Amino acid sequence: MRRPTPSAADLKLLDPDGSFQGRLEDDRQAIAQLSDSGNLDELRQIVHGLAGAAGTFGYGEIGDVAIEIDDRFVAGEAVTAAAIARLLAALEQALGTPEKSA
Amino acid sequence: MTLDLGHAEGNAAASKDRLQAAPSQARILVVEDDDDIAALLGRELRGLGHTVDLVRYAEDALFAARGNDYALMIVDLGLPDGDGLDLVRELRRRTVEAPILMLTARRRVEDRVIGLTSGADDYLVKPFAVPEVRARVSALLRRPSRLRGHRIAIANMVVDSDALEAVVDGVSLALPRKQFQLLELLARRKNHMTPKRMIEETLYGFDDDVTANSIEAQISKLRRALKAAGAGVALETRRGIGYRLVGSIQASN
Repeated sequence: MRRPTPSAADLKLLDPDGSFQGRLEDDRQAIAQLSDSGNLDELRQIVHGLAGAAGTFGYGEIGDVAIEIDDRFVAGEAVTAAAIARLLAALEQALGTPEKSA
Repeated sequence: MTLDLGHAEGNAAASKDRLQAAPSQARILVVEDDDDIAALLGRELRGLGHTVDLVRYAEDALFAARGNDYALMIVDLGLPDGDGLDLVRELRRRTVEAPILMLTARRRVEDRVIGLTSGADDYLVKPFAVPEVRARVSALLRRPSRLRGHRIAIANMVVDSDALEAVVDGVSLALPRKQFQLLELLARRKNHMTPKRMIEETLYGFDDDVTANSIEAQISKLRRALKAAGAGVALETRRGIGYRLVGSIQASN
């Protein structure tokens, strides 16, 4: 089933001061950095936060990927670089940030 | 396609119509360390006319609960200084009766079951939809106090009708069935006289053999059990009228 897409007005009601959108940008940068450096503890905390909050603020795609990764962390399973890349891509799409070419 | 947010600011009149049976201007404690989620809950609940206190830490929640009579608490399970489950257990141990809605990103059925058996009244998995959390809050606030959690607190004792047990200072009090029924009845009518006839009708069926001293004997046993457990209550007798359970000490919270 296709997820309803929140309108700009919906997002504005949920995040009137843009605080959550600002967090998404901070998280995107942190995830890129932490995955490069292999700091899994901090990466896990950020992903867990996104898994719990992104869907509530209307960012369902980010939330779905974050939940999938969070579940793997909880189960003690390996988190693949491809899964992190999907999360970064979902963040970049939501923020309108051009994806890195390399 | 857009989300049906039914936001308090954007759709306040419709929300108020739907929620007309819910008490307005309740005082609600939100224990949540995610600033964005906390701010969202604060906006939504204040938009419905409630007074909202936001805290990040379990320790702050215990402090806030000590000084305020909250109508509802919303507790996230993952707190920086401890597990929300422990917070809920401690609140119940301190005889806090307010309904508790748990928020958590833990999605397993067993996690939800543990949450509810720890003393929460309802459970909402993150990410939640705003209309759902609003509806659950309203449903919990609409409950008559006698149905909220089926727990009656008197001084340092909690009588739990669901668990069929009385707890004094966090320690379960082993009571035979009749004595628990008697305690539950008196607790529901705390500070009020309960006529002997009402006790007879509650404890005994039509076919039971009830002697003149049956109730007195049960009262006497219950009084001894409460005293032995250190319950800060007094079971008073008024000859010819009935019995009354009152708190004789303040809860130690």
